Amino acid sequence: MVFSSIPFLYYFLPLVVLVYFLVSGRGRNTVLLLSSLVFYGWGEPKLLGLMVFTIVLFYLCGLAIGGAKEQKQKKFWLTVSVVISLALLGLFKYADFFIGSFSSLTGLSLPLIRLSLPVGISFYTFQCLSYTVDVYRGQVQPQRSLLSFGAYVTMFPQLIAGPIVRYADIARQLDDRSHSLDAFLLGLRRFLVGLGKKVILADNFALLASLFRQSEEKSVLFYWMYAVAFMLNIYFDFSGYSDMAIGLGRIFGFHFMENFNYPYLSRSITEFWRRWHMSLGSWFRDYVYIPMGGNRVSKARWVFNIFTVWMLTGLWHGAAWNFVLWGVLFGVALMAEKWIPGLQKLPGVLRHGYVLLLVMLSFVLFNAESFSQAGADIAGLFGFGGVPLVSAPALYYLKSYALLFLFGIVGTTPVVKQCAGKIGDSKAGTVLEPLLLVFLLLVCTAYLVDGSFSPFLYFRF
Amino acid sequence: MKNIKLRTGLLLIPAVLWGALTVFAWFAPEKDISETERRPLAQMPEISADTLLSGSFMEKFDDFALDQFPLRDSFRTIKSLFHFYGLQQSDNNDIYIADGYAVKQEYPLNLDSVSHALDRFQHLYDKYLASSGSDIHMAIIPDKGYYLAEKSGHLTLDYEALFSAFEAGMPWADFIDLTDALSIEDYYRTDIHWRQENLPDAAAVICNHLGVTPPEPADFPMEEIERPFYGVYYGQAALPMEPEIMYFRKNNLLDSCWVYNYETGKYGRIFDLSKQDSRDLYDIFLSGPQSLLTIENPHAVTGRELIVFRDSFGSSMVPLLLQDYAKVTLVDIRYIQIDVLDRFLEFNGQDVLFLYSVPVLNNSQTIK
Repeated sequence: MVFSSIPFLYYFLPLVVLVYFLVSGRGRNTVLLLSSLVFYGWGEPKLLGLMVFTIVLFYLCGLAIGGAKEQKQKKFWLTVSVVISLALLGLFKYADFFIGSFSSLTGLSLPLIRLSLPVGISFYTFQCLSYTVDVYRGQVQPQRSLLSFGAYVTMFPQLIAGPIVRYADIARQLDDRSHSLDAFLLGLRRFLVGLGKKVILADNFALLASLFRQSEEKSVLFYWMYAVAFMLNIYFDFSGYSDMAIGLGRIFGFHFMENFNYPYLSRSITEFWRRWHMSLGSWFRDYVYIPMGGNRVSKARWVFNIFTVWMLTGLWHGAAWNFVLWGVLFGVALMAEKWIPGLQKLPGVLRHGYVLLLVMLSFVLFNAESFSQAGADIAGLFGFGGVPLVSAPALYYLKSYALLFLFGIVGTTPVVKQCAGKIGDSKAGTVLEPLLLVFLLLVCTAYLVDGSFSPFLYFRF
Repeated sequence: MKNIKLRTGLLLIPAVLWGALTVFAWFAPEKDISETERRPLAQMPEISADTLLSGSFMEKFDDFALDQFPLRDSFRTIKSLFHFYGLQQSDNNDIYIADGYAVKQEYPLNLDSVSHALDRFQHLYDKYLASSGSDIHMAIIPDKGYYLAEKSGHLTLDYEALFSAFEAGMPWADFIDLTDALSIEDYYRTDIHWRQENLPDAAAVICNHLGVTPPEPADFPMEEIERPFYGVYYGQAALPMEPEIMYFRKNNLLDSCWVYNYETGKYGRIFDLSKQDSRDLYDIFLSGPQSLLTIENPHAVTGRELIVFRDSFGSSMVPLLLQDYAKVTLVDIRYIQIDVLDRFLEFNGQDVLFLYSVPVLNNSQTIK
């Protein structure tokens, strides 16, 4: 089930909200756990067993680590949780990728496993890993209640698309959280803003990207429109989903971390990754990069650390070589920014332009189905391969999407938030705000009713 | 404090709306069909252990929730209005409005489809027509985009390339150009089809090529269908558009003809007025989509016969062509295999007309 769907909006969520507020105390975690299992099982009923296994595994490992008296025992149970969960992730997500790569390398034709990829496996595996690692480090106490731990792992607001919520951040809220009408309404407001980003902006940009892909009349202009459209698509898709998750969290009394902070305003790739998918970046920093020594090591080791982290970041996004290359590209850019001091002294406009160009090219690579397609797309952007400058479809869609591009570009800046802040406290703002939310609800519902199912981009991550 | 209370109170409005729509969604009575889209709506799926474990319940419930959503048509209209006017998009689901006409954007030229259609026509020719001694003609019916796309700034199919491809690919057929005999006024505003009452000019062009008497408009008086006509694009566009009046041209000669339907084995009439209650009013012409029909004309002045390979546009055109023919056979090879035609028809020198619209030729995968 996805948030931007009629079954979720008008069947699942209202029912869960109703039951959740009808019960009290620990019963609410039970409601969250059961509803999250229904949410998860809605798309993949056969994979519910894997989810339950993961919950029990990490719950027991957490208790074992917390209860162990010797460091050796703690390490053993931590290793058990890490090895088994990564093995499951590897089996379901990466096995065919490695088998296929090995076959290509050796000329063998090994059979693929072709397992169905469990929804959100990367998100919940990383959340669980943060739990046992934090218990091992003594940063949190192990959760004694299987029900509360299950509610944390499966919590549907952030189960399939993040943000990656660390146990430490919501441990107290799991047992003791407050609810209020204000929090409910603010959560609903945040949810509707996210829904609007996803349904009105992201899905329309996705349509343009799809029209480009289908077209046989590509041109330089069309390649650029595609690249910008995909850049906006992935931003509004993902940040919209994060907004919806954070809003739902507020409704149920949780405070999830922000996941995006206007990343396209960045003036360096380092800054970009502090603003883009912040929960993933900080997870890799705290659980991979720093344990490997971070930058307090020799230069050679540091280079190794950087490449390892960014290769893993790429792989986290998908089991294909273009994702690996995508990650490595950012690793190179980050090192370049550290080693070329003149880069940071360039005028702000140039730095901003360089970030946007690099990020755009990276997303072209990200969205390609193969290296050859990525190469053709990037070549097309610069007019190589005899691509004409303009084509009839490019001009047509440029005119058709002009306003949407404008809305999209403005939407990647804080302008809207600043305007809302300025008028928000005035009488006009008090009236306009609910009207705007009603408008968003009606228009998003209208798009969902009219359109077909539109899966979330990060669905399989 | 007062302002905060007011703010909270007003923020309840979207929450209440959400709740109200939820209640409607849960408790509104289910509908069987969508009149505007002319299709059955998904119903509440059966719930059982099997359907839950296989996931089929969930899949079907998603369809059900979408199809049965309260005020569904109104929401689709909101979407269209916002898409066209709020976002200034040039089309909505490939439908655009130009000069008051709802037009399906037919773009780009699908060479695979052209090739497939030519392949099927060639097979038909090789199997039945090459040795039959028939005079063979081919007419392509332009869609509304031919007259409106370029003018309104929408993507325009390469019509010249399409026409040339069929002219060159069917060297055994006489190519009939209908583009000058038609204009945008000859089409319904809300439908894909042409208006039969406006077809005498185009029919005359075809008749001249066939060497038969063209229809005089005065000999084919117009009659009006009482029920308002909402064409297929009315539902797809989901925009507020006025319904249209459908006319048809009939006379005693047409009234006296019998139509034999090979599928049902029954005789009927050219104008099937029982179809006035059907979802598509255009079905009154020769009872709508049918694979194989024969019209017998007892008042024909010659013994000539005509075979028309056609799509739905042919249903309204053929009545205007048949004055001189004793027998006209209509074949829709989207619904019948070419290889079985000789079980029903004998090809022995009848006139042959291929009459196909641009949308079918550019999306010909349905031709068998």
